Amino acid sequence: MERRSYRTDLWIDWCPGCGNFGILTAVVRVFEELGLDPSKTVIVSGIGCSSKIPHFINVNGVHTLHGRAIPFAMGIKLANPELIVIVHGGDGDLLGIGAGHFVALGRRNIDVTVILHNNGVYGLTKGQASPTLPLNAKTKALVKPNIQQALNPIALALSSGYTFVARGYAFDGEHLKNIVKKAILHKGAAFIDVLQPCVTFNDIFTAEYYRKRIYRLEDNSSWNPIVEKPEDRTIKLLKAIEKSFEWGDRIPIGVFYQDTTVSTFEERILQRIKIYLEMSPAKSSIAEDGGRSVIDGKRFEEIFRDYIVDVEGTQQ
Amino acid sequence: MAREDVGIILGGPQGAGVETSMMVLTRALARRGFGVIADREYFSNITGRHSYIHMLVSSRAIPRSLRYPVEIIASMDAETLFTHIDDVANGGYIVYDSGVASKRLEEIVSMEDITRVRVLEKLKKNGVASTVASVLKFLERDRDVKAIGLNFADLLRRLMNRYRIEVSSLSRYVSGIIVSAVAVLLGLDVEAIKYSLSIQFSSRRNIVEQNLELFKYVEESLQSYRNSIALEKPKHNFRKLMIVTGNDVVAMGKIVGGLRYQSYYPITPAADESFAIEKYEHLRAEKDIGSIVVIQTEDEISAICSAIGASLAGARSATVTSGPGFDLMVEGISWAGANEVPIVVTYYQRGGPSTGQPTRGSQSDLFNAIFAGHGEFARVVITSGDHVEAFYDSIEAFNIAERFQVPVIHLLDKFLANSIRTIPPPDLDSVKIVRGSISSGGKEYKRFDLGYIVSPRAFIGVDDTVMWYSGDEHDEYGHIVEDPENRVSMYSKRIKKLDLIASEVSRDMKLQVYGDRDLDYIIIGWGSVKGVVLDALELLYRKGFRGCYINVKLLWPFPSREVVEVLSKTDRDRIIAIEHSYNVQIADLVALSTSIKIEKKIAKFTGRPITLNELVDALQKLLTSETTHVVLTYGA
Ligand SMILES: Cc1ncc(C[n+]2csc(CCOP(=O)(O)OP(=O)(O)O)c2C)c(N)n1
Ligand code: SF4
Repeated sequence: MERRSYRTDLWIDWCPGCGNFGILTAVVRVFEELGLDPSKTVIVSGIGCSSKIPHFINVNGVHTLHGRAIPFAMGIKLANPELIVIVHGGDGDLLGIGAGHFVALGRRNIDVTVILHNNGVYGLTKGQASPTLPLNAKTKALVKPNIQQALNPIALALSSGYTFVARGYAFDGEHLKNIVKKAILHKGAAFIDVLQPCVTFNDIFTAEYYRKRIYRLEDNSSWNPIVEKPEDRTIKLLKAIEKSFEWGDRIPIGVFYQDTTVSTFEERILQRIKIYLEMSPAKSSIAEDGGRSVIDGKRFEEIFRDYIVDVEGTQQ
Repeated sequence: MAREDVGIILGGPQGAGVETSMMVLTRALARRGFGVIADREYFSNITGRHSYIHMLVSSRAIPRSLRYPVEIIASMDAETLFTHIDDVANGGYIVYDSGVASKRLEEIVSMEDITRVRVLEKLKKNGVASTVASVLKFLERDRDVKAIGLNFADLLRRLMNRYRIEVSSLSRYVSGIIVSAVAVLLGLDVEAIKYSLSIQFSSRRNIVEQNLELFKYVEESLQSYRNSIALEKPKHNFRKLMIVTGNDVVAMGKIVGGLRYQSYYPITPAADESFAIEKYEHLRAEKDIGSIVVIQTEDEISAICSAIGASLAGARSATVTSGPGFDLMVEGISWAGANEVPIVVTYYQRGGPSTGQPTRGSQSDLFNAIFAGHGEFARVVITSGDHVEAFYDSIEAFNIAERFQVPVIHLLDKFLANSIRTIPPPDLDSVKIVRGSISSGGKEYKRFDLGYIVSPRAFIGVDDTVMWYSGDEHDEYGHIVEDPENRVSMYSKRIKKLDLIASEVSRDMKLQVYGDRDLDYIIIGWGSVKGVVLDALELLYRKGFRGCYINVKLLWPFPSREVVEVLSKTDRDRIIAIEHSYNVQIADLVALSTSIKIEKKIAKFTGRPITLNELVDALQKLLTSETTHVVLTYGA
């Protein structure tokens, strides 16, 4: 498929130089390489600068509520498990207001990819501190230094149960593209923390800042994040968590953890509902021609017989 | 002389099996063709507090309301006897455990202090000492009540010896004593009880046998009482009756109506509905029909948002909650409004504000359902007057949602949710699934095509089709646009649906009028007050008052024209609004929508259902005096 077909021709209203451009480019390139069918692909986003991304991509786009992209995505995916569903959100969106949903998606391990545009600030509301901004940091829009601690998105994702956890950098396009591709191909809940410079409000985590510090995990040949058998899980998780706390002079990017030994939510549903994939909620018919319910009187009595009493004579 | 109906209270501590007793009795009665309505009252507590079932058995297939006093009180404990001291009819029967005869009111720790003080005062006023025995003596003397003491311990010991039951599990059989005693008084035969028990304990044959043995013991002890309260022959010839709670019947309606995704976060009194649905997640009957994903989400926000997501993909989807949960869902409902997404929220009201009375009923969220959400957008609020209506309305809720592509709130309440009724199986030939205008998409597809008020809807996932949704104001493709002219057309398109709904929804779905055409007075209300109002109309008719009841079903958009048409048949001061709330919000809604101001109101906000006795008194007072406002309080 030709490159243009995954981009809409809308004006992109991000500030010039914003890290979001790098993420957009990487995602579009993955779609091209995988040749994803736009009608079977859905981007679901929350609210924020980053969450405007669906409008710029020519696949189905659902731009939802602040913090709520994950539940919307869950409903879409569970109703029609054929679809490829990708969530985009900011750090405020996914880890502040939407933190509960972020954790819940990991626990469920639904086959959805979550891409965090991590810029340390609330961009669209003009630069307030986000949950990933460190304590005492004072970016230029803040009146006073940040009084709250930062959370660690990678560690949170790992402890929530995401089975693919990685970090990318918005301006390392090739590397980011490869990670996004792996995440989409991964079966289960995938999370990518993308370091995304906000040129307008974050004067600490700048491109300059990252250029000096970032290194790739895979450059160390002994780094193997993949859980091959369930027994390895704890040790790999611990290693990944330990690695996730490396932040300062050196900042790792790459895949921290991947586990394909955990059942996905869809597989768990399939265990209970054998017909789930052929007759998914969106794909099973609910009415016959003319609008009669597929449950007619006879089927009704069969289905709900526990509720029905056969009346028999009276004692009078 | 046989009676048309019999009122019964089954009382005991929460968790002791009052509900099981009700179920066993109800099924046995239904087996013989009797109708039952039963309300369940309980504290927000798992074990120990006073709970009771207030029921009416009738020779009608579907009795409509509850009344006090009742002919039979069957108590598992002493507390029931103190709490329901006023509830037994002259000449009625009380079945009790003779082992608690000497129990004093002061010893009952599970009773709330405030209630204890009130009961004590009542006893003092009547010169009655505060023991069970004196209360019963008082009732026997004063109200000709027959107090039947059964020695529960003895009965259970006999059973234990016969079956070598562990002492620790004996308490499970107390419900069997109650059931047996009531059955004997009603003259219900052992075969009906046996039928019911074998369904109740289907997998545990020995429990059925033991309960039947217990029935024998109780029957022997109560020989002289057999058939003391006989019922008339049932007046219908249904071959089948269903026994359903409101939660059950809504679950069934949704399933028949094509529900495929249901999300919920646990809350009373809504959660049981999702449990009922979950049993049918792999839906089949002679062939596979489809899958219903029922998911317990992390909160109500996720519940509504994921249901909206499922709807975007083409599944009929719904979520279910009560007041506190609905408040959390509101932002999502506004999103659905902006994006024209069909979605059903089944909203079971309970007592607010806040967690108010989590296990008690109310109708005080009318305005919350109608006006919740920021910005203006079309939404529909429907309600149901009883279990039968609730079934069909659950289907219609989806039809309306999809025909007009709007959020639909199906507003119900705890009284309906938790009460049991015997109803005939539904007539499925009359059920229609209407999916509205569906598009198969295509390259040029515009989700919000301005050529329509309701643009043809393609599901996400349809071949060769891409679409966008955004909570921001958008153009026909769903992309964000702030252009003022687009704003006007898109905004108006969405709101114009209200006129379309007003003209296209059937009159029956808007309101139903019951009663005399030639009118002295009109009552207007909605939801579960219907049954008791209809029974009150009948009683008052016999006393010479001819009235009618407007059962409003479409609460929003309010059917102003239709309501005015009926209301103009009588003088303004002969109109009475009734509701389980303080303000009687329906009167305000009528004023807002029709500029007719209703002065006379009946309100109840104790959390207990309106009973026939108190309603008839209140109506009579409103019709014969200058009184304009009556607050009802009956019930424990
Ligand atoms: C419920 C709610 N609260 C607040 C807002 C206002 N709001 C819009 S965007 C935003 C923050 C966006 O920050 P982030 O998620 O980090 O994304 P970014 O803009 O940095 O990409 C907020 C708070 C909203 N839209 N909804
Ligand atoms: S404010 Fe920051 S995050 Fe938002 S578009 Fe501008 S640079 Fe990007």
